Amino acid sequence: MTVAGSSKQIRTRLFAGIGAARRTWVATLVVSAALLLLPVIVKLDGKPHADWEQFIGRFHPAAVHVPIGLILLVPILEIAGAFRPALREAAAFILALACLACVGSLILGYLLAHGSGSTGATVTRHMWGGIGLAIGLLLCLLVRPVWAMGSTPRIYPLLLGCVMLALFWTAHQGGSLTHGAGYLTEYMPGPLKRMAALGAVNAAVPNPDSFYTKQIHPILDANCIACHGASKTEAGLRLDSYEALMMGGKDGPVIVPRSADRSLLIERVTLPAGNKHLMPAEGRPPLKPAEIAWLRSWIQAGASSTANKVAGVVIEERPREAPPQPVGDYSQWADEIETMRHAQGAKLLPVSSKPSDGLILNTEDVAASFGDAQLAQFQKFAPFIVEADLARTSVTDASFDTLARFTHLRALHLEETPVTGSGLSKLAGLSQLNYLNLSETKVTADSLAPLRSMPNLRHIYLFNTPAQPASAAETANANAGGTR
Amino acid sequence: MKQHPLCTDCEPASTVMDLPIPAGLKQEWSNLETRRRFLGRSGKVLGWAAMSSLFGEVALRGDVRDTKGQPRTPGRDELKLPHFAPKAKRAIYLFMSGGPPQIDLLDYKPNLAAQYNKDMPDSVRGNQQLTGMTAGQAHFPIAPAHWPFKQYGQTGTWVSDLLPYTARMVDDLTIVKTVNTDAINHEPAIMLMNTGNMNAGKPCLGSWLAYGLGSMNDNLPTFIVLQTKTNAKENNQPVSSRLWSSGFLSSEFAGVGLRSGGDPVLYLADPSGVDREVRRQMLDAVEQINRQTLEEIGDPETNARIAQYEMAYRMQASVPELVDLSKEPQSTWDLYGPDAKEPGTFAYNCLLARRMAERGVRFTQVYKRGWDVHDNVTGMLPLLCQETDRGCYALVTDLKRRGLLDDTLVIWAGEFGRTVYSQGGLTPENYGRDHHPRCFTTWMTGGGVRPGLTYGETDEYSYNIVRDPVHVRDFNATILHCLGIDHNKFTYKFQGLEQKLTSPVPASVVNGLLA
Repeated sequence: MTVAGSSKQIRTRLFAGIGAARRTWVATLVVSAALLLLPVIVKLDGKPHADWEQFIGRFHPAAVHVPIGLILLVPILEIAGAFRPALREAAAFILALACLACVGSLILGYLLAHGSGSTGATVTRHMWGGIGLAIGLLLCLLVRPVWAMGSTPRIYPLLLGCVMLALFWTAHQGGSLTHGAGYLTEYMPGPLKRMAALGAVNAAVPNPDSFYTKQIHPILDANCIACHGASKTEAGLRLDSYEALMMGGKDGPVIVPRSADRSLLIERVTLPAGNKHLMPAEGRPPLKPAEIAWLRSWIQAGASSTANKVAGVVIEERPREAPPQPVGDYSQWADEIETMRHAQGAKLLPVSSKPSDGLILNTEDVAASFGDAQLAQFQKFAPFIVEADLARTSVTDASFDTLARFTHLRALHLEETPVTGSGLSKLAGLSQLNYLNLSETKVTADSLAPLRSMPNLRHIYLFNTPAQPASAAETANANAGGTR
Repeated sequence: MKQHPLCTDCEPASTVMDLPIPAGLKQEWSNLETRRRFLGRSGKVLGWAAMSSLFGEVALRGDVRDTKGQPRTPGRDELKLPHFAPKAKRAIYLFMSGGPPQIDLLDYKPNLAAQYNKDMPDSVRGNQQLTGMTAGQAHFPIAPAHWPFKQYGQTGTWVSDLLPYTARMVDDLTIVKTVNTDAINHEPAIMLMNTGNMNAGKPCLGSWLAYGLGSMNDNLPTFIVLQTKTNAKENNQPVSSRLWSSGFLSSEFAGVGLRSGGDPVLYLADPSGVDREVRRQMLDAVEQINRQTLEEIGDPETNARIAQYEMAYRMQASVPELVDLSKEPQSTWDLYGPDAKEPGTFAYNCLLARRMAERGVRFTQVYKRGWDVHDNVTGMLPLLCQETDRGCYALVTDLKRRGLLDDTLVIWAGEFGRTVYSQGGLTPENYGRDHHPRCFTTWMTGGGVRPGLTYGETDEYSYNIVRDPVHVRDFNATILHCLGIDHNKFTYKFQGLEQKLTSPVPASVVNGLLA
């Protein structure tokens, strides 16, 4: 048949089809109209409804795979039918079945969305996808007999193609609902992603150093956006951007700048445990007190998206501790170390089996007889010693001269020694020193001043010294964790 | 196979020939395996068995011999330990023997209150075999925690009102809610927890550490065990020295127990008329005799005995200083409370544990018995918490303010948990809890672990694990990791096997707990 001569024939055949199956046409139109009107009659208003709806609706994710499988079968059967006509007959049956299953799972899906009160762009897209798919299938069912009669109008293959595209799109929306948006490309290899230009979607962030970006957004991102985000928008509220957060949801704005107490967001996250309006809902862990405090302070300070600092909030930023510098290989001194041990009693213990981790000077069993003179004899090994435990020995301030040569020293214990701290400034050159314990000595606060310039010295312990009397220690430690 | 003529109902036993192996192989095997050959080989096997029993246990050990053929323990250098730079140099293990009820202390289950006295669904228990104590119960009524919980610290961790002191330090703790064990009764469970094996005979954690890491202070034992005096009102399960035994390791690595009442070590002072010099001479003479015995018999335990005599001699000087609390400042008593002045209490033991940590004791284990609350939970649990809560807090706080928590690992654990359902009658005033191996709560703090962390999740009945299970072996592997030891590399050859604390089932370090 030529293309030019076919159009008239098609029309006659089509109308013949209409005449033959007027009832089918009417049924199709009624069902399609019902489907199209469904979202208007029964609105998805974002409020949860009857439990039975949810119960039945929750079978949707499982049941939905039946029509998917059936729809995929149809084109396969149609193509295979060109070689084995029996299969083409099966295709008609499968198509009808797919149509039924599609409408069925659409109803289940609608019950799920209505029952659980889900709304959001993805939910809407998924819904319209499903409705479109069902109508497409109905139309396929309608035009297929014409096509099957032997003449080959392209309307059925075209329609079927559209149905397939609609199927993939709708299924992807559904997948995004269950697994989160972007789940398909999440683990896409880097080069592919760049080719697809997915990495460039991140819109320019106004101020990367603002309090909102660094503190507030991460809290909302970790705790809230699973239900208040792009894919699921409970109560019409989105918390995934500053603009959305300030816009609020169905119940009005959730942030009232400069008034944390009137902000719905604060109210909802501070309700007593067990209250059904407490957020985050559905058994997710509550916000931490510190996080709530930050939210409050941020709102009190005006809920700005650009301000870098918020009054009353000090975020402790701790740069990572510098990795320890490796020491030289001391294996060649092994015999001498052993001799020292027999002579002095003090031990040089390896930190680990790796020589570059260094040695620990351990005086615990000879503490009573260990003094400045004994320490001086360990100078030879000074570059290998990363920790010196001189607690309860009789070393005095005079030893700071010796200790200044322990260039790789990271930890120094001087608890219960006669040191007064007068020579502490000599330690200033120990760039690796991270830990200094002066508990139960006579060290005063003034003598500690030279230590302030030491970049790596993070842990200073002064329990029961003039610098930190014991009575104050418990509370001080409770707050500061014993570190500076 | 032929049946015996008188046997009418026995099934024919299968033979090797029924196995699905290639026919050629079967043929070859049947040609080789003659009766003569079998008997001949059996003789040889029996001979070897007899010989090994003649040589004694020593032959089964993996001891290293020195140049003179004398047995000795592998030196520190050969062990190559620690494998990597450790975060913790020493550990203190507060062992809550009997199985503390996690539901009443740290594993908060707010929804249980609504289910008071309802039967626990069968699906939760599954096909689990219960202990003889509750297997006969017709009902398993849910007993919610009798005490309210509150949130504490920056982390907002829920803690029972029974533990007001522990609540103060939650931000320092690493709470593990999903430790689980294989055993449902005390002895196997406590053995598994301590030695990694339900059967006795394996070295305990402390012995492995003493063997592997050695001493930091030669004047004190590397591994010390402190027992808390029992309270007659509590249900005290026995705690035996098997738990701090060195198993197949040399007995010099066994835990040294200090007494909980009277002198911590008996006969510590020399008798009148014997001075330090005389004592030394006596010990030198004994050592000579022991060395002779060692040369003649070659039992490495003789070495251990020599080492123990020497340790005892040095402890005569070091222990009085260790237990002399007269120089402790007032702040110590303010922190540990009045109990700490009475030897044998848990608080006193915690104070001693801190002093041992200062003096370089590698591993201190404090046992507190009485947590086996099968009945009268509301009567016993407040007592138990009162006895232990403040001590735990005081120990951690004291270590922290003195700068020792940075390289000391503190562990609090029992051998299993307790059931959510009541054993015996449930009344609004009282209930009991049976043993529960599927999940229990422990905590750690200090060197190597991440503070302010609650790890793992149990179901709403605190019965099964929902997320991140930590088997006892994983727990032990993690402890070893904090002390710089790779649990898979730290082995000791015995009975032909490379034995380790975490064998035989593979275990893994729980990285989520690490700092």
